[in-house]
Amino acid sequence: MEIIVTNESDIFVFAIQGRLDAVTVPQLEERLNQWFEQSGTKLVFDLEGLDYISSAGLRVFLTTAKKMKARNGKLCMARLRDNVKDVFTISGFIALIPAFDTLGAAQDAVQ
Amino acid sequence: MLIKQMPARVESLHDLLTFITAEAKKKGFSEDARQRIELVAEEALVNVFVHGYAQDPGQVEVRCLDSDDTALTIEVRDTGVSFNPLSLADPDMQPDLASRKIGGMGVFLIRKMTEGVDYRREGDSNILTMTFHNR
Repeated sequence: MEIIVTNESDIFVFAIQGRLDAVTVPQLEERLNQWFEQSGTKLVFDLEGLDYISSAGLRVFLTTAKKMKARNGKLCMARLRDNVKDVFTISGFIALIPAFDTLGAAQDAVQ
Repeated sequence: MLIKQMPARVESLHDLLTFITAEAKKKGFSEDARQRIELVAEEALVNVFVHGYAQDPGQVEVRCLDSDDTALTIEVRDTGVSFNPLSLADPDMQPDLASRKIGGMGVFLIRKMTEGVDYRREGDSNILTMTFHNR
């Protein structure tokens, strides 16, 4: 898994690529914990390159969404592949974190 | 029957998943179907790593059962503490972020993404059997 973090003004984008599973989840948790040390309130997960997610990954997304809510921030997802979207739909997580077809729409939504 | 045994810890996960998806590919499952199988297998294996062997280290065994038809049946066996994952209630599916609880999703995904799942205790072994149909 690879995580590329970029920002345009105060909107931070985490591009998560590869597999998000029980093995790789600690990497993402570490990057997010670093990010949460700052006071950012606008976060987008760009999932165009995400091939696979399991419940270990869902757990991190839910924890992140709760933390963002606690600081009155906004979290959105962009560009979910069909198989990844299926996992979000079946688990009901699709109702918890807004998902958009384009990165721009997700960035606008957290603005 | 193909059998692979490895230490029951997260470092074994990718090797075990590769073993299972190779068998699914041989059976002619599509890439989409193989990803579902992989996801279900991960959830079952991680349950064993976390619940079965929380105290002492041990082994986990994956068996791909022989069958004449196109279905794929996988058994996950461990000799950890007696634990029936299917005894867990479905997770809280609240659409509200504040009240939604974390956890219980693994077993839920297993139930939703298999055509059949069954647990039995045989001697000192937990055996979880999962069947996938090739559609």
